[in-house]
Amino acid sequence: MLTSDESLIEKLLAEQQSLTAVERFSQKYVRTQGHSQQRYYRDLIPLSRPQTGEQYAFAVDLDKCTGCKACVSACHSLNGLDEGEVWRDIGLLRIAEESVAYQQTVTTACHHCLDPACAEGCPVLAYEKDEETGIVHHLDDQCIGCQYCTLKCPYDVPKYNKKRGIVRKCDMCHQRLAVGESPACVQACPSGAIAIQIVSQEALRKNLQPGDRLLPGAFDSNYTRPTTSYTGARPANGHPADGGKIRVEHAHWPLVFMLVLTQAAVGVFVVNGLLLHQPFANLVAFVFLNLGLGLSVLHLGQPLKAWRAFLGWRKSWMSREIMAFSAFAGLASVVTGWGYLKLLPFSLPVFLQRLTIPLTWTTMILGLVAVSTSCMIYVDTRRPFWSLPMTFLKFFGATFGLGLAIAGLGKPSFTLMGCALLLTVSLLELSLLRNSALEKSRAILYGPLASLQWARALLLVLALCSAVSPLVAITALLLAQLIERTCFFMAASAHRMPGGI
Amino acid sequence: MKFITKHLRAWEGPLTSDLVQHPGEFGLGNIPRQLTPDATTTVVCGFCSTGCGLRVHLKDGVAINLSAETDYPVNLGMACPKGWEALTPLHSPDRATSPLLKNPATGRLEPVSWDQALDVFCSRFQSILTEHGRESVAWLGTGQIPCEELAFLGALGKFGMGLIHGDGNTRQCMSTAATAYKESFGFDAPPFTYADFEQSDVLVFIGANPCIAHPIMWQRVMSNSHHPEIIVLDPRTTETAMAATQHLALQPKSDLTLLYGIAYILVSKNWVDLDYIGNHTTNYPAFAEFLQTFDTARVANVTGLTIEAIERCAKTIGQGQRVSLWWTMGVNQSHEATRTAQAIINIALMTGNMGRPGTGANSITGQCNAMGSRLFSNTTNMLGGHDFLNPVHRKKIASILNIEDASIPNKNSLPYDQILAGIESGRIKGLWIVATNTAHSWINQSWARTTLAKLEFLVVQDMYGNTETAKTADLVLPAAGWGEKEGTLINSERRFGLMKKVSRAPGLALSDFNIFRLIAQRWGCGEMFQKWTSPEAAFQIMKELSRDQPCDISGIRDYQMIDDCGGIQWPFAQGSEPLPQVERRLFEDGKYYHSDGRARFIFEPTRPVAEPLDAEFPLVLLTGRGTSAQWHTQTRTGKSDILRKLYPANIYVEVNPSDAERLKIKANTQIFIRSRRGKISATAYITSTVRPGQIFIPMHYPELNQLTFPAFDPYSHQPSYKYCAVTLETVARLGLQRKLAHRN
Repeated sequence: MLTSDESLIEKLLAEQQSLTAVERFSQKYVRTQGHSQQRYYRDLIPLSRPQTGEQYAFAVDLDKCTGCKACVSACHSLNGLDEGEVWRDIGLLRIAEESVAYQQTVTTACHHCLDPACAEGCPVLAYEKDEETGIVHHLDDQCIGCQYCTLKCPYDVPKYNKKRGIVRKCDMCHQRLAVGESPACVQACPSGAIAIQIVSQEALRKNLQPGDRLLPGAFDSNYTRPTTSYTGARPANGHPADGGKIRVEHAHWPLVFMLVLTQAAVGVFVVNGLLLHQPFANLVAFVFLNLGLGLSVLHLGQPLKAWRAFLGWRKSWMSREIMAFSAFAGLASVVTGWGYLKLLPFSLPVFLQRLTIPLTWTTMILGLVAVSTSCMIYVDTRRPFWSLPMTFLKFFGATFGLGLAIAGLGKPSFTLMGCALLLTVSLLELSLLRNSALEKSRAILYGPLASLQWARALLLVLALCSAVSPLVAITALLLAQLIERTCFFMAASAHRMPGGI
Repeated sequence: MKFITKHLRAWEGPLTSDLVQHPGEFGLGNIPRQLTPDATTTVVCGFCSTGCGLRVHLKDGVAINLSAETDYPVNLGMACPKGWEALTPLHSPDRATSPLLKNPATGRLEPVSWDQALDVFCSRFQSILTEHGRESVAWLGTGQIPCEELAFLGALGKFGMGLIHGDGNTRQCMSTAATAYKESFGFDAPPFTYADFEQSDVLVFIGANPCIAHPIMWQRVMSNSHHPEIIVLDPRTTETAMAATQHLALQPKSDLTLLYGIAYILVSKNWVDLDYIGNHTTNYPAFAEFLQTFDTARVANVTGLTIEAIERCAKTIGQGQRVSLWWTMGVNQSHEATRTAQAIINIALMTGNMGRPGTGANSITGQCNAMGSRLFSNTTNMLGGHDFLNPVHRKKIASILNIEDASIPNKNSLPYDQILAGIESGRIKGLWIVATNTAHSWINQSWARTTLAKLEFLVVQDMYGNTETAKTADLVLPAAGWGEKEGTLINSERRFGLMKKVSRAPGLALSDFNIFRLIAQRWGCGEMFQKWTSPEAAFQIMKELSRDQPCDISGIRDYQMIDDCGGIQWPFAQGSEPLPQVERRLFEDGKYYHSDGRARFIFEPTRPVAEPLDAEFPLVLLTGRGTSAQWHTQTRTGKSDILRKLYPANIYVEVNPSDAERLKIKANTQIFIRSRRGKISATAYITSTVRPGQIFIPMHYPELNQLTFPAFDPYSHQPSYKYCAVTLETVARLGLQRKLAHRN
């Protein structure tokens, strides 16, 4: 019999909060060891461990993949990943010609490459290609969150986890493989389309032909030598469903400021060292430099671990850049201070005075080397927009353009030269942009970023017109360069595996 | 270097240890340490009608994760992305956490107590009923809540509150199949079991894309070891069509003609089972006679297929040993849907492909409990698949429920479309919507929204307070969702599965069952529902309601038995063998539910579509499921970051390359799609998987139904979502183009 209204509401609200599944239905579900799913994936993982010269690899049978995407969800759930985090992606291949109707879902994760670009780029050696299994591990506690690997990987595999301040990626569920269980994606595929196989690294290397790629639209496999194999009938003219799609990339604000400010600083030291010899200009540059380097730390997810950044110097341009700029900053501080030594009440001993020129030149050269390492960081990603000519043009254009304008503070002729140089650079950029490989970057620059292009152009013209008022001109030039650098990142269309609609 | 490797590289630490796995026990294998459960239990999934078993990982009684249940006979250790993510939408900040009442001053929904909400609910509906009579208030239910709740809602609505009209969103997905089966077999009885997918040597999919809509059923097709012929009848080259051995890309809505054309060939080539026809069916001679006008040349002309393709398909069916025919929304959502479904049934009957392993005319259901709605919602059918017009049935139900015969209406409910029409004409003034999203999903949406706005009082009972429909409500009742309550769901193969309470509902949200209890008491009919104290108590009542019906479940002891058996298919009458076999199909004895025990051949001349193409609107708009990660109006799937990664965020339209070229449409640009009822914009996706002259837009995006044309099947009243006339317009102005692109 129902009691009064009020008490029924209370009773039902309380009842709603009491969970009953365990007491009522858990008796059947006893604690059992092992993995009950094993019967479904027994044939999908190797029986033995890889021998010397062999490694594990994903094998995807596209004929079996029907597009359910369970592999992605299972990867997320069974690996306990953070909200929204997945280590597997889904794409779609299709044919746009009228005569053939074709679509094929593709599933893709880390390819555990023979020559992983992520590992090559990492400044702190946070990647390790396992000697026995060939699995490319990411050492989460080593990572400083610089995200360079996310730019380096041509398959868009490592993903930055903002909450943790580090990158994470697929580890082929190596802990499962070690106990004879299958990776999450393998055990969750309803049609058994994903398997783990053992491949010979030597054979893989030998069998690669020029121009080989994993799938239409994927990057040339000769770069990192990915180990995943995609089998199944597929037409030659299939291409990624997201082929024509414009994706505006991350702006990386701290890097924008870091690059523009450090390049301006190097430029001032060089222009000043060669032509003007004004201590105050060096001081300004020194402030710029430290501001730039300071801001760059904001880009790191784990700045306190950044001291390890020298570890990767053998391969990583990021490591080299950090070392070069550290050395440059040290010398720059000496040179800046040197300029003010004459303020001292006594004059310097002759042997010290003789050091001025070598010191200045070493600083200038080291500065230019440091800017070159900055360039190489981007060139080394093999993104078409970050080609060697484009990047060197932009970075050294900024170096000398801003250097002239700022070092010549108060000298309209220098400001004018700086403006003219940067205008020339922007025109040269336009001609480089006509390259057919830059279709996507063009689409971004002239599409969603069109207003930024106009703003940059206007600022350059404004700077040119106001060269007599150097402060206005310099501000305009700096703003123009910050815009240029923002676009440098946002329009650098990344290489990816085929994506979806 | 070794020194560096050893001392300057952190191989361990707090970030690394977050991903460290260890044996999870319960047969789970390795799992991340922080997700280690202390118990597990199997819960049937609450998205689609496949009815997969999900193994929920519990810690202190609360769900912390889930994986697919290895041993559940439906899904055999697999799940689609929606199933994997089933727990995520429960924790969305969009959940309704208290009753919400529209403040007349501000027009905003504001939190109120349950006490106040119940007062408003009862007083407003009662005053409308007093003034305008029993037909002035109606409800629209769902296929998304358990049988026990549907039965409670139906009994409360019709017997307790005295309403006449109630229907559900199953009108949009399954009413055609229900109507077709009822007329052909004598009862709404999908005959198959999922093992049939594995046992056929010919599988025919008509207007069905199981790869995407029912991936776990497709898994069963993939495990068919008989190298089956897979025939797909679909205007689009869907994922399923890609996997087929024969794809017949027929003109939209020429399916009935094609099916009759196939039947014509079967008759003329004598690929029919005359014994089966003679022993188990009626009306075959008239059907064979009727088919004479469907000669293959004509059928080829209407369907746009070649004579060879049609003949090859018919031959494959005619010569197959175990042919199963499967259909879903491509058939059900049509202006001549019921006859199309029956044309499929006719093919199965005439070839004797019924009642044997790997055979059957099989409707794959949509929602997780559409089948429960068909039997227990007390809307179109009276509880337990009974008939409101039958006095014997009314007496039976009245005596089981211990109510007056007179409490049971002796007339049928209006179907969904007629309820809306009743609102438009002013006859219906109060509406109670439970777990469905009319303002998004109903055909010809602008009209539907205008119509809902005419109501004097609209109550929406839902998990979320911000669905398109809830936003327009006068009162929102916050409901507990899947996993926060108990109950049974019936899947496509008639299997009762158990939903369990493994997660706490947020705030003041209550299970629909308990909301009905509160309403019953406040309404003043609590007495009538004294025995409905819990879902399992209601299940015991359902058993009685089903007794001696084709869907008799009186042999199912209790929830524990359902849990132990991995679900139980109906029928399972009292006195059946102690435990049901895992997979059972109907009609193995060739006995149908009509009084003569025979199935009927039912047919009718084809009719033209309601909105033919013309010069102004020269393209057909097709609609359907977009991806396996999207569910209907996305009130739930839109709440999962993972699922959102797996489908395009914004509406897109698939256009054939030749149409794109003709209309100067560039890939990935915004275009307008215009019909006589509305104009929307979408990103153009150019693909030859749609034929020239046709475009396709997934149904999940809220704008879509602004375009659709309100045509209905005359027998099932199901809306025909799959055909309307539209035109495409490019965005001329570059600025606007950029603006639209940027917005996306």
